[in-house]
Amino acid sequence: MSPHKATWGDISRFALREMRGGLAGFRVFIACLALGVAAIAAVGGVTQGILEQLSAKGQEILGGDVDIRLNQRVASDEEFTYLLQNSEQIARVMRLRAMARAESNQKRTLVELKAVEDAYPLYGTLELSSTEPRPQLFEKRGDIWGAVIEPTLMTQLGVDIGDVLAVGDTRYEIRATITVEPDKSNEGFQLGPTLMVPHSSMEETGLVRLGSLIRHHYRLRLGSEVDVDAWLEDLNARFPDAGWRIRDRSNGAPGIRRFIDQMGMFLTLVGLTALTVGGVGVGNAVRGYLDQRTETIATFKVLGADGSTVFRIYVLQIAIIAAAAIVLGLALGTLAPLFVSQALKDVLPVAPEFKIYPVQLGLAAVYGLLITAVFSLWPLAKARDIPAARLFRQLVAPDKSWPAQRFVIATGLAIAGIVGLAIGLAEDKTLAAGFVAAAIGAFALLRGAAVLIAWGAKRLPRVRSPLARIAVANLHRPGAATAAVVLSLGLGLTLFAALAAIEHNMSAEVRQRIPDEAPAFFFVDIQPFELEEFIETVASVEGTGEFRSVPSLRGPVMAVNGVPADEIDADPNEAWVLRGDRGLTYSASVPQGNRVVAGDWWPEDYAGAPLISLEEEAARGIGAKVGDTITLGVLGNEITAKIANLRALDWSTFGFNFVIVFAPGTLENAPHTHMATVKAKGDVEQAVFDAVTAKYSGVSVIRMKEVLTSVSDVLSQISSAVRVTAVVTILAGVLVLAGAMAAGRRARVYDSVILKVLGATRSNVLAAYLIEYALLGLVTGIIALALGTLAAWFVITTVFEGAWVTPFTTMGLTITGAILVTVGFGLVLTWRVLGVKAGRVLATV
Amino acid sequence: MVSTSPERKGAAITLDDVHLSLPSEAGEVHILRGISMAVETGQSVGIVGPSGSGKSTMMAVMTGLDKATSGRVHVAGEDITDLDEDSLALFRRAHVGIVLQAFRLIPTMTALENVAVPLELAGRKDAFDVAEAELKAVGLGHRLTHYPAQLSGGEQQRVALARAIAPEPGILFADEPTGNLDTTTGAQVIDIMFKLHSERGMTLVLITHDLSLAARCDSVIEMRDGLKVDAAFDAIAAQ
Repeated sequence: MSPHKATWGDISRFALREMRGGLAGFRVFIACLALGVAAIAAVGGVTQGILEQLSAKGQEILGGDVDIRLNQRVASDEEFTYLLQNSEQIARVMRLRAMARAESNQKRTLVELKAVEDAYPLYGTLELSSTEPRPQLFEKRGDIWGAVIEPTLMTQLGVDIGDVLAVGDTRYEIRATITVEPDKSNEGFQLGPTLMVPHSSMEETGLVRLGSLIRHHYRLRLGSEVDVDAWLEDLNARFPDAGWRIRDRSNGAPGIRRFIDQMGMFLTLVGLTALTVGGVGVGNAVRGYLDQRTETIATFKVLGADGSTVFRIYVLQIAIIAAAAIVLGLALGTLAPLFVSQALKDVLPVAPEFKIYPVQLGLAAVYGLLITAVFSLWPLAKARDIPAARLFRQLVAPDKSWPAQRFVIATGLAIAGIVGLAIGLAEDKTLAAGFVAAAIGAFALLRGAAVLIAWGAKRLPRVRSPLARIAVANLHRPGAATAAVVLSLGLGLTLFAALAAIEHNMSAEVRQRIPDEAPAFFFVDIQPFELEEFIETVASVEGTGEFRSVPSLRGPVMAVNGVPADEIDADPNEAWVLRGDRGLTYSASVPQGNRVVAGDWWPEDYAGAPLISLEEEAARGIGAKVGDTITLGVLGNEITAKIANLRALDWSTFGFNFVIVFAPGTLENAPHTHMATVKAKGDVEQAVFDAVTAKYSGVSVIRMKEVLTSVSDVLSQISSAVRVTAVVTILAGVLVLAGAMAAGRRARVYDSVILKVLGATRSNVLAAYLIEYALLGLVTGIIALALGTLAAWFVITTVFEGAWVTPFTTMGLTITGAILVTVGFGLVLTWRVLGVKAGRVLATV
Repeated sequence: MVSTSPERKGAAITLDDVHLSLPSEAGEVHILRGISMAVETGQSVGIVGPSGSGKSTMMAVMTGLDKATSGRVHVAGEDITDLDEDSLALFRRAHVGIVLQAFRLIPTMTALENVAVPLELAGRKDAFDVAEAELKAVGLGHRLTHYPAQLSGGEQQRVALARAIAPEPGILFADEPTGNLDTTTGAQVIDIMFKLHSERGMTLVLITHDLSLAARCDSVIEMRDGLKVDAAFDAIAAQ
């Protein structure tokens, strides 16, 4: 008869009996795993929640089932008739930047002018501060139209309801403020607050001129039974050359979608780092638990249990505890959208719905399981091999053997699973792979550093002070917390230092370097006939300089070598070239700050077939080279031009940088405007602003300072999100640290009692431990700082191609933080250790 | 009756020139240095000798808890010398019961559960009935649901004894079973052990410091420096 093999029933009975002993040793295990899983589940849930809401509210955000946008021109009669006949309802929206002047105090500011028809919005509701019907709010009373504004405009201009704003050649009375603008999140980056006016008033402003940067939107209601894809196919077949940009309800806010996707991916990776740090805690807890169970395991073996039975008994216990921790983490993660939608309701385009996101929760659970496997299989496999003889004899030589090959392979597979999922599910695989490689590299380096510290401490010449000697000895003695502290705290601090250094560099760029080097103003929509006079006006203000102007048009790339833009397999980093409109200009000479890197620049008096110069990275990204052709849509016409040369740009000059520059002879006769920049010292900025806005009501004046404030606001919102997730990593590290220190408590109690017996005072013992913890914190801080700074330097100089500023404050904070955390925990622990009465311990040891 | 000739027919245990060395950081430690002996089925054997003489290690080799570095070991008709760790576990489950000085009860299990473990491992459906009967047999019928921490030393050792004999092994090994007990309690445990030995006809191998205890066995082996005493004398004489 073959021997009985323990069934899972037997195993679960044994496992449950074992677990009666309590889960005290698993508190850190549960906390670490739950925290990491919660972070990933939260990021996943919030991201998915936002994306789902963007889809669910697609029509509202888009303002229709289909949005057709034309730049700088209105739809032709033929096009408009077609749209009218093939839709249930149409709402025209005109958007442009303009200057608004308050008549009461003559203050001026840049606004996003949005002209709407009565049908606006086709979906969703425009909520206003006034309950008066919209036709009344917008109606013309005398020669003054009605308008509604975003509340921020009131503060900016110091105006109130009832005040009058002058825009171009006409005047608007503020009749209400906007509470909810349903399609706001589809508007992209806004330079000024919204001023909403009736569509019919626009003619009177004098701003609607050929070539002005006006976006004409045609928003259509198609009815729910209409197949949007088929409808669009028909439209494109009918007007293949219209050059309009079309969005439909399934893809309402692609920019936001991309941003949310990327943020989600990045934060998931950060969450995964937190989970990995927590994994160290999981591993420590499993090892500690199994160490305590060594005798029980040996007893099982004495009683006839084979290795597989023992392994299964403990795997089941770990699995049960891990499952509980994961469920706890998932529950916490599920609650996240609730808090996030409350806390970030002003920042997010839509609030994520509070509900179960099964795929995201499932993924977080899988990550949790895999991390548990990675960190506990090894000690479990070693436990499986504990010989029965351990019961009556400790091993004479320390056991440094590896577990059986299949467990090593299983651990490797679990690691591969995590890496595969992290990279495989990421939109930007290169970024994800880079992050994962950096994390694994940092993990390996920190592990190596921990070994090195212990090794170094062991070989340090004997210090004279007994306190320092004890401190150093504690770094390398068996069961020392060195490895756990360096690894867990180190990884969190490395991430934190890297993110802080990146943030520091980016904000240094936005707050210091750009304001110093960039022009003070961008002027948009200068009409060709007024350009000369405009230059004189600006130059007449003392303290201005480096005035530059360029002709400006906009138009989308329609095709490359005849291949339609949407069929081109472009490098994701350069795909933006094919999306939406590009700024276009023409120039006889190589633009300032540009360098021709391939092909030849055209003669100054060139007047032949259309030629263009393309920026080299963009050319590489869309697979175009010198001699190829690019077709552009310019004001409803298609222009196919040959690429004459490629240019390298210096994006950091903040001058005009056009990806596409035409040779003379093609665009001059197309209606267009000019853009200009000027530098001005801080104190004359207002004078320039006043001079220009007083005279040129049609020219939009963009202040660099205000743009930078908006950019800086967005940056700080992003960095807050990243920092919150990074803090989770540090928290996981602190948990691991606490667990490791608590695990070493028994040894410390024994030590301190022996020291006291030998005449050491409490302050002696305390000093010894403080030295140890400070040393450990200092070394961990320095390593984390080095690794984090290196990673940040790499990201700033190669990914963002920016100038590196060494963030001394961040460095100081990281090191101080590391020391404070380790010493803090050390103190708490030591305090409890010191409180133990020597007599009681000696009686039991 | 103990015989010095190996592999005797009918012997429960046979050791043939068994050596055992363990690696240590200071070099190899020779614990058993060539032991040959046989124990007849159904007999009781006392093994005595000073600390470090190799008594426990010899028992570990006989029970498959340790592997001989060289020589051969036959127990209950099986050659266990080359069995791997898992096969040895199955061998113990089938043939051997072990009582250790430190009781070694599983702290998270009740007395009844502790005794049931080897029976459950063997897949016995009546594990708990048998366990209860065995606990009653050692006088602990009233302590079934107590955890080890709630039992006295003598009671814990009786639970360990019940656990060792519950699967009805052919051979019972006891390593200093009274070492952690006071004299009276120890004597009670030993009385129960000898009673069970005679009632059930098990072979009994008893390791002890206590010569009077060893004297209750059918035969006694004395160990010194990893050798049986007669062999030890030969080694000294040869030097």
